[in-house]
This record gives sequence, structure tokens and C-alpha cells, in this order.
Amino acid sequence: MKKTLTVLALLAALPAGMAFADDDCSVPLANWQPREAVERLAQDNGWTLRRIKIDDGCYEVKGRDATGREIKAKIDPATLRVIKLKYKNDDRDDDDDDDDDDKDRARRDRKDGVSPAAPSTAPRNPLFGNGAPPTVLVK
Amino acid sequence: MKSLLTTLALTTALTLPGLAMARPVTLTTQLSNYGGDGAYLALYVTDSSGAYAGTLWMAGGKSKYYDSLSDWYRATGGDPAQINGITGASVGAGRTLEITLDLADALFDAGYTLHIDAAVEEMRNSPNEVAVPLTTAGAGTAVKGRRYVASFTYDM
Repeated sequence: MKKTLTVLALLAALPAGMAFADDDCSVPLANWQPREAVERLAQDNGWTLRRIKIDDGCYEVKGRDATGREIKAKIDPATLRVIKLKYKNDDRDDDDDDDDDDKDRARRDRKDGVSPAAPSTAPRNPLFGNGAPPTVLVK
Repeated sequence: MKSLLTTLALTTALTLPGLAMARPVTLTTQLSNYGGDGAYLALYVTDSSGAYAGTLWMAGGKSKYYDSLSDWYRATGGDPAQINGITGASVGAGRTLEITLDLADALFDAGYTLHIDAAVEEMRNSPNEVAVPLTTAGAGTAVKGRRYVASFTYDM
């Protein structure tokens, strides 16, 4: 009996979407900080930004840090917390304008018939039984 | 003790519906040859009182066009969180969009209706293009849409 209780308690404590945590942002538009705030954050960190864009619901910035290293950072649009910070190989020339991050590469490698934006993350939606993303095919 | 157990059982049941009570469902939407650009399609569900319950898929990548899917847009206010992770490309005329997903059992035979809103650039918007009650008996039966959808079927 005690064992059952423990198991039940454990299960109840599990948040439903826990297994699907990712580094996307889902902030309502009203809570977004302006681009100037991102620029200020960059200034505070000593970064020189070349580009600010929005990707996966987060701000994504590219530029160089105070030491001149190439960086790419993902920033929460509401709290301006740096979610991800990547240093790029500096030997490479500046080819940032053709934005070749993994996502674009995946897009290029995409096979025909598969929806271009087939989801990689689980939908946050109570209708979905298991929280797994739908499989989508256009014929 | 007994009430504690009941509470725990209840909270567990509320937390876990997704893990146990779902079935794989295939939604097949075949578009007619309407002779226009790719169609934006919103597939969503309303409950027995007609209130919006959630979106299953959004075909069409540019959010600035979502207001053309007017019933869906009215229900959601175009909230991007509603379609986070469940968005794909628009569907060309004559093509078939096949979506396979695990749908909660509780949606069937409980008064829920699946809707499709459709919109095509330079052509008339078609909110509520398709509206089918979700029933176990209705699975496999093809339904015709009003303007752009040649046939819609859900199979389990």
C-alpha cells in the first residue's frame, strides 16, 4: 500500500511536459523587450553585434565578444537571459550573411514530400495524447 | 489515508491522461485543383459548446496571413503559442496533407468537432471549410469541404 502511494505521488509530481524541454522561447508578444534592450545587453557584455534576428521565438544575435571571438547567442525575449552562447571557429571567414546554422542545413537536406517545418519539438497542446509531434506528409 | 489515496489517484489521473489514453489518428486532407497558390489550412478542435479547444496543425508559415483563417483567428487571437511546434508549409492545389498524431481519447464521442479554416492568396477565404464531429463511428468517412477541400477523412 505504501509502495503504491509512493509511486502515485511520484507520478503526480511529474510535470506533463517535462521530457520535452528545449531551448525555444514562447513569450507572448506583449512581454517582448525591444531590440534596443538587446543592443544594450550586448553593450554591457562587450559584444559587437552584427545581426539581431528572431529564431524559435527567441532573439538570436551574432557578432563578436570583447576579445573578438565570433559568437552566436540565443536570448530570452522577455528576461533577456542568455539561453545559449556558442563560440564559432574564428579561422573561417565572415560568411554570416548566408546564415548557415544547423537549421538551415537541415532545411537544405530535407527530403521531398516532408513538410518544410516538420516540428522537432512536442506541441504544447492538451489535445495531443502523448505530447509527441505529429508526422506530416504532403503528397 | 483513504482520502489521501483518492486525491493522489485524482491528481495522477489529471497529470497523466496523455500517457495512457490516446490513439493514433491520421487526418487526410485532399485539396481540389482550385487553380491558385498553396492553401493555408488551420486544423483545430472545438468542444460541445463550440468553444475553441486547441489546434492540431497549421499549414502555412507566414503569421501575417493567419487572420485570413478567420474563425481560427477569432478563437485564438492569432496566439503563436497555439501553434508552437505544429506548423508546416502551405499545401498546393491538388495535393494531399496527411497528418498522423496521437489524439486524446477523450475527444471522441464527446461532442468535439474538428474544423478546417482555409485561405488562398487572391482567392476567397473559407473559414469553417470543413467541420466534422469527432466520433468513432465517423472515422474513415470522407467529407467534402465547401471550397478548397475535395475530401477530408480521419482514420484510427
